[in-house]
Amino acid sequence: MITIQNLKKSFRTEEVETLALNNVNLKVDDGEFVAIMGPSGCGKSTLLNIIGMLDNPTEGSYNFAGNEVSGLKESQRTELRKGNLGFVFQSFNLIDELTVFENVELPLIYLNISKSERKQRVTEVLERMKMAHRANHFPQQLSGGQQQRVAISRAVITKPKLILADEPTGNLDSKNGLEVMNLLTELNQDGTTIVMVTHSDHDSHFAHRVVHLFDGQIVTQNQNRPVGAAI
Amino acid sequence: MFKNYLKTAWRNLLKNKGYSLINIGGLALGIAVALIIGLWIHDELTYNSYYNNKDRIAQVFQSQTFNGNTGTGPAIPLPLEPALRDGFADNFEHIMMSSWTQQGFLRVGDLNITRTGNYMQRMAPEFLNLEVIKGDRDGLREINSIMLAESTAETLFGNQDPIGKTVRIYNQYDLNVSAVYKDIPFNNSFNDTDYIIPWDHYVNNAEWIQNSKDNWGNNSWQMFVQIADNADMSTVSERIRNVKKDLNEDTAEFNPQLMLLPMDDWYLRSNFEDGKQVGGRIKYVWLFGIIGIFVLLLACINFMNLSTARSEKRAKEVGIRKSIGGQRSQLINQFLSESLLVVVFAFVMAVLIVLLSLDGFNDLARKEIAFPWESPLFWGLALGLIVFTSLLAGSYPALYLSSFRPVDVLKGTFKAGKYSGLPRKILVVLQFTVSVAFIIGTVIVMQQINHAKNRPVGYTMDGLVQIPTFSEDFNDKTELMREQFIGSGAVVEMATSSSPTTRIWSNRSGYTWEGKPDGFQEDFAWTEVSVDYAKTIDLKILEGRDFSRDIASDSMGILINETAVAYMGLENPVGTIIRDSDEEDPGPDMKIIGVVQDMIAQSPYEPVKQGWYVYDRYNNFSYYNLRLNPNQSASQSLATVERIFKDNFPAIPFQYDFVDAEYGEKFASEQRIGTLSGIFTALAILISCLGLFGLTSFVAEQRTKEIGVRKVLGASAFNVWNMLSKDFLKLVAISCFIAVPIAYYVMNGWLQEYPYRVILKWWIFGLAMLGAFGITVLTVSFQALKAARQNPVKSLRTE
Repeated sequence: MITIQNLKKSFRTEEVETLALNNVNLKVDDGEFVAIMGPSGCGKSTLLNIIGMLDNPTEGSYNFAGNEVSGLKESQRTELRKGNLGFVFQSFNLIDELTVFENVELPLIYLNISKSERKQRVTEVLERMKMAHRANHFPQQLSGGQQQRVAISRAVITKPKLILADEPTGNLDSKNGLEVMNLLTELNQDGTTIVMVTHSDHDSHFAHRVVHLFDGQIVTQNQNRPVGAAI
Repeated sequence: MFKNYLKTAWRNLLKNKGYSLINIGGLALGIAVALIIGLWIHDELTYNSYYNNKDRIAQVFQSQTFNGNTGTGPAIPLPLEPALRDGFADNFEHIMMSSWTQQGFLRVGDLNITRTGNYMQRMAPEFLNLEVIKGDRDGLREINSIMLAESTAETLFGNQDPIGKTVRIYNQYDLNVSAVYKDIPFNNSFNDTDYIIPWDHYVNNAEWIQNSKDNWGNNSWQMFVQIADNADMSTVSERIRNVKKDLNEDTAEFNPQLMLLPMDDWYLRSNFEDGKQVGGRIKYVWLFGIIGIFVLLLACINFMNLSTARSEKRAKEVGIRKSIGGQRSQLINQFLSESLLVVVFAFVMAVLIVLLSLDGFNDLARKEIAFPWESPLFWGLALGLIVFTSLLAGSYPALYLSSFRPVDVLKGTFKAGKYSGLPRKILVVLQFTVSVAFIIGTVIVMQQINHAKNRPVGYTMDGLVQIPTFSEDFNDKTELMREQFIGSGAVVEMATSSSPTTRIWSNRSGYTWEGKPDGFQEDFAWTEVSVDYAKTIDLKILEGRDFSRDIASDSMGILINETAVAYMGLENPVGTIIRDSDEEDPGPDMKIIGVVQDMIAQSPYEPVKQGWYVYDRYNNFSYYNLRLNPNQSASQSLATVERIFKDNFPAIPFQYDFVDAEYGEKFASEQRIGTLSGIFTALAILISCLGLFGLTSFVAEQRTKEIGVRKVLGASAFNVWNMLSKDFLKLVAISCFIAVPIAYYVMNGWLQEYPYRVILKWWIFGLAMLGAFGITVLTVSFQALKAARQNPVKSLRTE
């Protein structure tokens, strides 16, 4: 699904140029669950953002499901992202002014899906995530764990091929964190590819493979278990 | 999708109530001003829309040149009528002679009233589109008939049918009511025509008019025309240009030029300079139009600034929407929808503001504007205004907010760039530039009005009252009335005059005197007065003496004003003989017996015209001028005057005007403009301040942590206030430097229209700048001090 070759990303300010990613080569197969780990500032999130097409690499190639992404314009990236990708963030990133239902519904609106189908799909997903009873609440009225469940609902509503999770348990206590990881694992078992950035060794064990990043380079890759095997 | 946009917008508005109030309130004020100005402009532009043939109706104007000074006006001589009827018949559908609209005393039984009306030729009902509701549409056929406006008929006859009944006019002539017509609506010429009497009645009963039938030099009437269906206004106007000059040698030296002033131009473009049409009230239409656009712009700037200032708050939402598939175009649409929602709310509020303030505005502007609920044009334009304002106010925020990169905002590293505040600053500068320019403009307009008001008029207006005497009943009773009035103790002096003290109704030429240069084309303001005129109005005699009852030859005497002395080139004016230059039928010689001080009888903004005050030998007076006894109350004196008046003239309505109030009318137009622009300026400043207030609160909020840290490190409340206010004061300073030269240029140009004008002083500009700074400090300080006085621990904890 993902093939990254010799990828570089540098940030330039007036005086300093920082190389955030240096010659990264990474391949992620369909249905795989990959965790990216490393110390703060090693380039994990930058890599995730490039995989999520929120950012463009400075050099190198990034192929997503047969499409070369590097060099695409923002509008083209948005088009490719639509329906194919779902995001789960550490800080949930729900829109405060929209209810749980409306937050989850939003990606479908952008895909121009009919109202009746939207309603059906959102209801299904919320029931699956055990959030149906909270459909009309606003994000501020929910606990952190609940908010992340809503965020995951929103990420999966379009049935994406790939979910990108950026420290999805970072703002949660261990109980809620475990619930979220179980949800992601479930999704992965249903066939969704997952790339997750995490600091947590515990969380990384849910992945098939752990990629270690240091100073912008991949230093090691450990296989926890083969793809398809249970934890 | 649209529903989703509106939902988000609505919840955003609810969530930030203060911000929404400032935004919607400011915008509502701006739209309300634009609406009111729009209604006013519409009213001005649709003046005379009552007349079906508006496009083909015109009034004949005449320019004449005296000593190089060209004057233009609607007064024309009688022989022009046959000249046009005979020589140019094909060009006109109608040619209609008319008197000036004048006050008439109407009497039915014991009821005496004063109304304004005209003498007009028979086609008047058709020409004026009169809607005859009773009687004969051809109501001017019989010479002793009168047509009454509905309101006048009601006053005179109540519920009775007025047709065929008698109205006595000026207590001289009995006229039969031939028709009643609907009053001509307010917003039209001739709206003060309360009655119409046949032109022939006017001519047949006045010898002086009959004597003027062949006199091309007596320009005392009006002529209205309707050009033929196939004729072109400017072509006809050009054709008749030299008719008078070609047909009359005597007046040819004044180069009389005739022209047609189309009805469309009567109200808005009737000013002339050197014989050329140079606009008129239309300049106020432009002025207010520009003010309206600017005030709306100021309100839109608030919207833009407050929206973009909140960008950091909205950035996260933009990031999320983009990351889950929202296209930039969809986000632009979303923000434009928000803007549309705000504008719709603001519009509804603006309509309420307009409804509440329309009566007051009408009083102020002397209008009868009604809210156009049923006008499709209005709602069409309103829709246009809503869309235009939404785009104007929403486009910049929409483009700016939708441009955020999701990766920046979602990483939490989003910070508005170093220069992101620049457009906002430019807009604040623009707002205050407009506000400061408005302040300067208003102050100068007010100053100019006061300057003219404080100009010495040359006589004493206090306690001076004038009573119209438009009836032969008054003839030869002046001395009798004077004795009675003075004898009562209510009046200390009385004299008559042929025109009101505050106006000149007649100008004359055709005289000669010793030393008059060859070819000198004289033109004098002409007022006929009785013996004690100068004494009554307290007009100072500078040389020679006043008229005297004891000197019989004074009936051939005249007083001239200072300007006339210089104009005539007289070194020793007193004793100079004035001769009539008419060789065939010369009038008697007159002798200058005194020189009086210049007094303002025309525009207070113009130099005083050379004038003659001639002894009234022929009962030509139109007013009694009374100096009330200063030692008793005016109401008491007037009651006595009224009693004496009614004893002597029971068939004439008693009516009086205070001269100072009449004089005040000369400033009415400028005063109205001044007051209105003052109000609009105040609103413009209020709107700008609302925006600034909102902006300061956001800046203070953004810098909460910084303020906390500074306070922990020892900053005083003053330091914090200074830090927050300084930036805004800098912007206002820049505004002042831009606004001052612009305002100077524009206002200096405006003042050039007035020969008697105020001199622009630097302190006006200083004061306006100081005012702008004062207002800014007050506005900014509220938020700045609030931020400065917050407990730093609290602000740091929230981070």
